[in-house]
Amino acid sequence: MINLENVSFKWHKKAASPTLTIEQLAIDEGEHVFLHGPSGSGKSTLLALLAGINVTTSGQLCVLNQNLSALTNAQRDAFRADHIGYIFQNFNLLPYLTPLENVCLGCQFSKKRQQHVLNQTDSLTKEAARLLNALGLEPHFHNQNVATLSIGQQQRVAAARAFIGSPELIIADEPTSALDTQNRESFIKLLFEQAKKINSTLVFVSHDETLKPLFSRTIDLVNLQGDV
Amino acid sequence: MILFKLAYKSLLNRRASVLLTLLTIAISVMLLLSIERVRVDAKSSFSNTISGTDLIVGARTGDIQLLLSSVFRIGHTNNGVSWQSYQYITKQRGVKWSIPISLGDSHKGQAVLGTTLDYFKHYRFAKKQPLAFEQGQAFSSINEVVIGSEVAKKLAYQIGDEIVISHGMGNTSFHHHDDNPFKVVGILKPTGTPVDKTLHVPLAAIELIHGGGHHDHDDHHDHSSHALIGHPKQITAFLMGFDSPLYTLQIRRNINQYKQEPLLAIMPTVTLKELWEMLAIIEKILLLFSFVVVIISLLGMLTTLLANLNQRRRELAILRSVGARPWQLFSLISIESLLTNFLGCLVGCTLFYALMGTTAGYLQSQAGVSINISMLSDYELTLIGVIMAAGFIIGLIPATRAYFYSLSDGMSIKI
Repeated sequence: MINLENVSFKWHKKAASPTLTIEQLAIDEGEHVFLHGPSGSGKSTLLALLAGINVTTSGQLCVLNQNLSALTNAQRDAFRADHIGYIFQNFNLLPYLTPLENVCLGCQFSKKRQQHVLNQTDSLTKEAARLLNALGLEPHFHNQNVATLSIGQQQRVAAARAFIGSPELIIADEPTSALDTQNRESFIKLLFEQAKKINSTLVFVSHDETLKPLFSRTIDLVNLQGDV
Repeated sequence: MILFKLAYKSLLNRRASVLLTLLTIAISVMLLLSIERVRVDAKSSFSNTISGTDLIVGARTGDIQLLLSSVFRIGHTNNGVSWQSYQYITKQRGVKWSIPISLGDSHKGQAVLGTTLDYFKHYRFAKKQPLAFEQGQAFSSINEVVIGSEVAKKLAYQIGDEIVISHGMGNTSFHHHDDNPFKVVGILKPTGTPVDKTLHVPLAAIELIHGGGHHDHDDHHDHSSHALIGHPKQITAFLMGFDSPLYTLQIRRNINQYKQEPLLAIMPTVTLKELWEMLAIIEKILLLFSFVVVIISLLGMLTTLLANLNQRRRELAILRSVGARPWQLFSLISIESLLTNFLGCLVGCTLFYALMGTTAGYLQSQAGVSINISMLSDYELTLIGVIMAAGFIIGLIPATRAYFYSLSDGMSIKI
């Protein structure tokens, strides 16, 4: 699913040392990986590379057997829309859309994901409602203003948006940092359930090491780079 | 489709600032359309003042001065035309009709015009429309008066009222002809011309109120047209119509070379055009002002869009994270400015019609401009098209910035 070989990344070409250096990293399809490291360890940089926002300075980074460095900007945009679902730390929902509309937005810019939804159900809204229900957001909240939802509820909408259209890779960037311990665990379990259902690979990033035991595999970014 | 939905919902979410931008555009569209409509209708009212008259003849002066004094009641001629010359000229071959007019008196600031019954028969305005009576009829006696619609409205005169005429023009005349009151016998329908602001009396009455000695008591009851004309020595000017346009040029030349008296004959359509051309600079300044207003409102829109854009970087980054391409964000911002512009123009048109509807009466009575509340003309639609196009082009500036923001911000939503 994800394969990094001799990857290095510099923000500026003339920078003396790279921001991120990974000799080898492989993540298999369907794996639920916990990626952790302190602030400044390069977590966000790695996510930006995986999502195709930035490209490696050297080395090879493949997602779904596709070398992202070989794609043009537009191709990487299309690749991201088709294959990657992203859950953000700060929910990042559009305030002027309802939860249902925010979820549907997840596949509005990808024909592949839209088609995937429509192969399974009649409409995007139906699938969005199903995902919201599955993630624990009751139907009477579905058409409410997102700003009136609690933090936990907003996080569920953000997760449903990432899952709609069954993308192969789900990247979760510290999505539980605003939740208490109990809600954190139940939210991660819901994520696992959904990811398993569609056989998505989950890369979960956090600096909170107490979440480690919940995952089948843990990658410490400091150690990973120290191996180099 | 999703971009239209997002644009619509995003605009709705920022309705306060969008409403202000929209109103700015609407007001500028309203101003531009109003100025344009008033300009066109003023021009049309102006050229509609007189029609069907081939020549206006008066004492030798300037073309425009003669037109202004005889048709618009503005200023006055220093000299008149002798009655003998009038009779001689109007007996020439080809003369179809003639209307003598005698000006110089007033009633409460409104011009008093001495004329004959031919005035009501042959005078034409706009598209060769004859004068028509709202109430009553033409004068048939020396002490009767026919008033224009504005005079009736402004001074609240009705048929049967008696009025006194002053000597000279203006509101404060020192010499009132109190001994010769006139009875209102007719009120003309509105024409949108100076006729509306005029009181029409028989030619003989002008002579009478100035103490002319050729009038006797019997004339009051003599209904013949001769009694209405009396024995004037001089008139201010006269209007002429000919059987054929060929006579117009020939008789005009003859009048301008008339040896017995220095006279001037003008073709009103030509002189009206010359006069309007003199006023063209005002027309251009008005248009320039309205374009400046439009430019200011479009710059206002640009400022609001750019200021909002900075606050919307996060929103754009979210859209990028769910797969929107930079060109789609460019389109989104362009659609928003286009929608704002379109709605602004729509509201502007509504305001324009509301303004015209409420001020048409005022413009008619105060400026004599008859406003035509009709569908937008091709030129007005073109103006709206130009505003829309300019708005769209200006909207491309924030759209381009959104495009580059979205490339540089990418999905880093912690902006």
